[in-house]
Amino acid sequence: MTCALSPGRRKRVWVRSPEERPGSHCRAPLKRNREPRYRQHSSSDSGVADLFDTPSPSSDEASPGAGASTRRAKEELQLELSIFRDYGQEWYCFQKERESRFLSPDSLAHQPQVKEESRCKLISWLIPVHRHFYLSFESLCLAVNILDRFLACTPVAADCFQLLGVTALLIACKQVEVHPPRVKQLLALCCHAFSREQLCNLECIILLKLHFSLGAPTLNFFLEHFTHLRVQQSQACDQDMTEAIDAKAMARGVAELSLADYAFNTYPPSLLGVCCLGLADRMLGHQKRLDLSISGYLDSVVKDCMEKLQLLVSLNGTSLPRLLPLELSKKHVKTES
Amino acid sequence: MKKFKRRLSLTLRGSQTIDESLSELAEQMTIEESSSKDNEPIVKNGRPPTSHSMHSFLHQYTGSFKKPPLRRPHSIIGGSLGSFMAMPRNGSRLDIVHENLKMGSDGESDQASGTSSDEVQSPTGVCLRNRTHRRISMEDLNKRLSLPADIRIPDGYLEKLQISSPPFDQPMSRRSRRASLSEIGFGKMETYVKLEKLGEGTYATVYKGRSKLTENLVALKEIRLEHEEGAPCTAIREVSLLKDLKHANIVTLHDIIHTDKSLTLVFEYLDKDLKQYMDDCGNIMSIHNVKIFLYQILRGLAYCHRRKVLHRDLKPQNLLINEKGELKLADFGLARAKSVPTKTYSNEVVTLWYRPPDVLLGSSEYSTQIDMWGVGCIFFEMVSGRPLFPGSTVEDELHLIFRLLGTPSEETWTGITSNDEFKNYNFPKYKPQPLINHTPRLDSEGIELLTKFLQYESKKRISAEDAMKHAYFRSLGTRIHTLPENVSLFSLKEIQLQKDPGFRNSSYPETGHGKNRRQSMLF
Repeated sequence: MTCALSPGRRKRVWVRSPEERPGSHCRAPLKRNREPRYRQHSSSDSGVADLFDTPSPSSDEASPGAGASTRRAKEELQLELSIFRDYGQEWYCFQKERESRFLSPDSLAHQPQVKEESRCKLISWLIPVHRHFYLSFESLCLAVNILDRFLACTPVAADCFQLLGVTALLIACKQVEVHPPRVKQLLALCCHAFSREQLCNLECIILLKLHFSLGAPTLNFFLEHFTHLRVQQSQACDQDMTEAIDAKAMARGVAELSLADYAFNTYPPSLLGVCCLGLADRMLGHQKRLDLSISGYLDSVVKDCMEKLQLLVSLNGTSLPRLLPLELSKKHVKTES
Repeated sequence: MKKFKRRLSLTLRGSQTIDESLSELAEQMTIEESSSKDNEPIVKNGRPPTSHSMHSFLHQYTGSFKKPPLRRPHSIIGGSLGSFMAMPRNGSRLDIVHENLKMGSDGESDQASGTSSDEVQSPTGVCLRNRTHRRISMEDLNKRLSLPADIRIPDGYLEKLQISSPPFDQPMSRRSRRASLSEIGFGKMETYVKLEKLGEGTYATVYKGRSKLTENLVALKEIRLEHEEGAPCTAIREVSLLKDLKHANIVTLHDIIHTDKSLTLVFEYLDKDLKQYMDDCGNIMSIHNVKIFLYQILRGLAYCHRRKVLHRDLKPQNLLINEKGELKLADFGLARAKSVPTKTYSNEVVTLWYRPPDVLLGSSEYSTQIDMWGVGCIFFEMVSGRPLFPGSTVEDELHLIFRLLGTPSEETWTGITSNDEFKNYNFPKYKPQPLINHTPRLDSEGIELLTKFLQYESKKRISAEDAMKHAYFRSLGTRIHTLPENVSLFSLKEIQLQKDPGFRNSSYPETGHGKNRRQSMLF
């Protein structure tokens, strides 16, 4: 943990690790058995080509809960399917119709200080932060959307960009989470560089600037939609279901990478969703792959987006396995070798 | 393509544990001075580029330690948007100028971002409009302001508008439209007169009010923003959802007013809620009216569910009714939340009477069927005049449910016997009682529908959509199924309320129930 004494009187600790946080104030649940476990470490940092390097799982990680978590995932999926049959198509049409209104492909075009790199860093930081609080992927997607749409209409100083990041995350969480992180926790993650008042003020400004339009259709929604559709069509064959669950988990990892990359801001989430799943199928060497034409996009459009995602994945070889559930990153390695 | 690669390469770095990278990524949250980074080498190994070391970041923050990172408007935030931000008063507070920030009730504010930035450059544009002396018709005005069709704007405003409005045949930009909404009084507290207080809760106070603009009654829900945790979740959810929900059976959010310390939501005013309606007719409602009310609940709910919005807090106090008999769902503060709390922040107990047993047993499943149990309970209450399961604690509530519908077994509820909470309660094994004994006024189709709402397993509960097509509603005719979303059921001449048998007073007295009214509007 890096600390530094600032010339003033304060000791700064950049980010508290989970062990350090004062348990008594933690409202974000610490125990979460539904959540798949994520890799705690990876062994190489050799750059581009090492996506397929063995990530050396240690023995204590050998999963007693691996089968159980897959089973739970399947049960959940079954349950979701029963509602999906009633409403899935309508949800999809509704979200698809709205998604263009929430895109901001050039969110940084008029930013005097915030550049692509800083956006990338901020979101790359928000990804572990959202895991740290056990937040849903939906929250992360919403946060990034709020961030981008705010950037598109308001010049932001570089030195309050991190504050903007956590505030966007807070607003996103307040919409969908059972226990949004406490303001105190978020401020601690920013090493107390900002005050509570500043965060609350910024929250207000964001809400007003975005006119309270906060419920963007998310990449998470489309990943789930296409997965449900695929399982529904497969008529509950067990193997297909396992593949669908794995593909979705892998696709989520790819999707997280794409969120952090400004180049993917131009793609609507429905397109990114289907392409992430398509790429995940390919990476996992699945036999029965998702039919990408269900997205309604032209083959050429899908192909272009998928190629870029592929490139993104190969450039982030070491990062991706850390974004995946443990069992999957093992499985992934197995299929590749 | 090279540039693209470079961008990609910066996306994420490997090689650290999550905790390490948390801290490192935080370190890397450094100041990006300019575009000079373009010449930097590609970063692949997880080390931050040398030029933005942690030190520069620290210095930056220490340097600005006494000043707030949120700069003054003329410096950074808001730079070219200076007009949007007022000068900080005490040096540490950013206040917001309201004029240009206001959200009109035009329902089209969604595109706030992107499009507005260029328009913003000339915030004075509003004043520079061409003057014209064409007469403006009411319809023109309503169309241009996207106001509800029945809204009546007082003459004074029309005259005022004619002085400062652009020619009507030219398309109006979104920006000038919003400005003119603000000009005629939308988004301003002065536009509304507070009448009496209807209720008060932890987060909000609700007043009855009148719009000076339209002379219509409104409900003003004043939400205090100064909380430890910033804007309340319920307020954020309610506003963001209601902006997208436009339906004849969902309460309309007319306007939002932001003042220094509070947010006021302006809703259409409805005379009473279902609870009060039932009280006023001595808990003996006409069975025909029950059907019309139930259908309207389902219609509003089906619309929500089609948009993946769950209400999660259905109860008679959240169903508002006007004198025409139009019923509207209100209070979406819990919608979109993942779980339903049993207590509010101030530890007030939330009513459990309409909660499904799966939720009472700890399920946080996110499903539309969660609302359907409550519909069943409300249906029963309208028919019988008393709440179905008026439990005071979770255990009591479950006990009441099981005593009537039978203690669940593996046959009636798959997986229940392995539910730990259920096992811990160790309920006696009750046999199900026939519902007809408790609702003698209900016909067999009604009983069948009620049974379909009150299924233990959420996936077995009938959906709102299917319930609307149930034979129970056959007597209402077929035209009810083809009504456009924003059209009231009472636009059909065959749909008319009957006199409720127990009805005592036709003038909807303001007394007596005043105290507890509109609990629904509270957080």
